[in-house]
Amino acid sequence: MAKIIEQARIISQERISGQILRLRLHSPEISGAARCGQFVMVRLREGTDPLLRRPFSFSRIYPEDGEFEILYRVVGRGTWLMSQLLPGSSVSLVGPLGNGFELPIEKTAALAFIAGGIGIAPLLELIAQVISDRGAKGLENLRLFYGARTAAELLPEDFTRAIGIRVHFATDDGSFGFHGRITQMVEELTAEEDLLLRRPHEVYSCGPLAMQYHVARWAISNDVLAQLSMESLMACGIGACLGCALPAQTPGEPQSERFVHVCEDGPIFSAGSIKWNKILVQQMPPPTWVFN
Amino acid sequence: MEQNPGSADASPDLGVQLGPLRLKNPVMSASGTFGYGEEYSSFLDLRRLGAVVVKGISLTPRAGNPPPRLVETPAGMLNAIGLENVGVERFLSIKLPFLRDLGVPVIVNIFGNTIEEYGELAARLEGAPGIAAIEINVSCPNVKKGGMVFGTDPAMTSKVVEAVRRATVLPVITKLTPNVTSISEIAKAARGAGSDLISCINTVAAMAVDIFSRRPRLANIFGGLSGPAVKPVALRCVYEVVRAVDCPVIGIGGIMSATDALEFLLIGACAVQVGTANFINPASTVEIIEGIERFLKVEGITDINSYIGSLDTGCLFPFADDSCAVIESEIL
Repeated sequence: MAKIIEQARIISQERISGQILRLRLHSPEISGAARCGQFVMVRLREGTDPLLRRPFSFSRIYPEDGEFEILYRVVGRGTWLMSQLLPGSSVSLVGPLGNGFELPIEKTAALAFIAGGIGIAPLLELIAQVISDRGAKGLENLRLFYGARTAAELLPEDFTRAIGIRVHFATDDGSFGFHGRITQMVEELTAEEDLLLRRPHEVYSCGPLAMQYHVARWAISNDVLAQLSMESLMACGIGACLGCALPAQTPGEPQSERFVHVCEDGPIFSAGSIKWNKILVQQMPPPTWVFN
Repeated sequence: MEQNPGSADASPDLGVQLGPLRLKNPVMSASGTFGYGEEYSSFLDLRRLGAVVVKGISLTPRAGNPPPRLVETPAGMLNAIGLENVGVERFLSIKLPFLRDLGVPVIVNIFGNTIEEYGELAARLEGAPGIAAIEINVSCPNVKKGGMVFGTDPAMTSKVVEAVRRATVLPVITKLTPNVTSISEIAKAARGAGSDLISCINTVAAMAVDIFSRRPRLANIFGGLSGPAVKPVALRCVYEVVRAVDCPVIGIGGIMSATDALEFLLIGACAVQVGTANFINPASTVEIIEGIERFLKVEGITDINSYIGSLDTGCLFPFADDSCAVIESEIL
C-alpha cells in the first residue's frame, strides 16, 4: 500500500462544540486509499515551529468525493493552529499510514465500540462502515459506549444521534449519563440481562491511555476480541524515527523486552499485544499556549 | 525550472570525492532518521541519493529505551530512542539486500558497548557486498554504555577507531558529538587513529520538562536535540573540525533545505547528511539535491567542488577605507 505526500485543500472547518472541531479536506489520492483506523501526518504550514507533523485519524472517509474528515480537539499549539485554518487554504499530508481496523467478518456479530473523549474520531468511520455493511437490520446489537470527563466535552446530542446506533454515555463527574469510568459502565451493562451485550463478539476502542488499559483488561478477562486504537507522539509516522514505541507482549516470552511502534505496527493493537505494566507515566502535552 | 530548455548548458557536476569514497552528489541521509532506506522508498527514488546512512547497528538486536522517546521543542525535537535496531545479522540478511539491489551506496553506522564490539562489528561487515563505508557512532547521547562515553574522550575515540580500522579496509567515517569542550581535539584523535573521514554533529544533549505533571518529558530524562535549532551549533563545529583535520568532513545538523546544505558546503564540509528533515518532509533529501543543482546553475558554477570551502572570512568591512575616514572627519 503506497504512502504518499499530498497537498490537501481545506473544504470546510466547523466548530462542533467547545474545543471540538471538524475539518474536511480535499485529498483525492489519500482519501481513495485510506481505510478506517488509519491516520495521516499533517503539516499545517512551512516553517520550523511547530516543526513536526501531527498524526490524526480519519474520522470519515469519502473516497468517491476525494475527501476525508478529521475530528479533533484543541489541546495545544498544533491543534490551535489547525483550528485557525480557513477553507481554501491547504496543508501537507503524508498518508495513509498504519494498519487500520479489521472489520468483523460475521455480519451479525454483537459489537461494542468504546470511545473516550476525542477518541471517538476513528470509531465514527468504523461504525459508518459496519452500518453500511449490514443495512438497516442488525444494528440492534451495535453499541457505542461514549465517555468524557464532563458533559461539556461530549459531542452534542444531534451529532451522536446521527451516528445511527444506540449510545450509552458516561462522564467522570456524572454531569451526563453514567457517573464513573466508561469501563465501569461497560462492566455493569454487560453484566445485566442484555443478552446481546452480555458478551459482545468484538470490542473496538479509542481513548486515553488509562481507558485503553481498562478496556484491554476487561476484554482479556472476558475473553473478548478487542481492537484498540492507540496514540503516541511521533516524528515521522512511517517507521523511521522509532519514537512512538510501546512495550510489547511477546507470546510465550513474558520476559522478552521488545517494543512495537504505533505508526507501523499499529495504531490498532489487540489487547494482549501490549505490555501494559511496562508503560510509564505518560503525559499529554498540556495546553501551554494558554500561558504563552 | 529550466530557464532555457533548449540551451546546451549541462547540469553542474555534483560529484564529490570523500577520501576513498566517490559519491555522485554530496547529499545523504543521516543515521537514525532514514530507517534502513526502504521506509522512504514510496516517497523518493533512493538511487538519487549520494548515499544512504542506515540506522545504527549493534552486534545483537537492541530494544531501545522505554517511551516517551521523543518530544518537540522550539524549532527542534529531542529523541531518546536508545539505538533500537535489528542487530548486525538481521541487518545483513534482511535489510541490506534491498539497498544493495538498488545500487545506492550504503554507509553502515555501527555502535558497540565496548571497544572490542566495534571491532567485531566492522569485521562482520567486512566483505559483505554492497557496503560503501562504515560510520562509527561514538556520539549517541542516549545510551548508558559506550556511545558518547567514547566520543567525549580523545584517547577512547582513538582506541575505537583503531579497532575498526584494524578490522576493515572499507572507508571509515567517525561521527562526533558536539557535547565536548573541543570537538577538534576529538576529530584529530579520530583522524590520527586512521579514520578516513569525520562526520559531525550528532545530537546535542538536552532535556525538556512538564510544569504540570512535574516530570521529565522523556523517560530517559535526557535526549538528543536535533532540527533547525542545532544548525548554528553544527556550523561552528564543522568549521572548527574542517580546520583541524586533513581529511574530508561531512556536515550534519539541522539541514532542512538546500540553503542549509550549501551553508555547510560553504564552510568546508565536502558532503552533508540530512536527518530530522526526513521526518517532516520524507522527500527532503531529493529536494535538497535539486535545490543545490538549481543554485549552482543560477550562480554559474559548473563543479560543486569549487564552491566547497569557499567561505570568505577576509575583509568584513568593505567601506573601511580612506573615504570612510573623510566622511568621519566631516561629521565629527
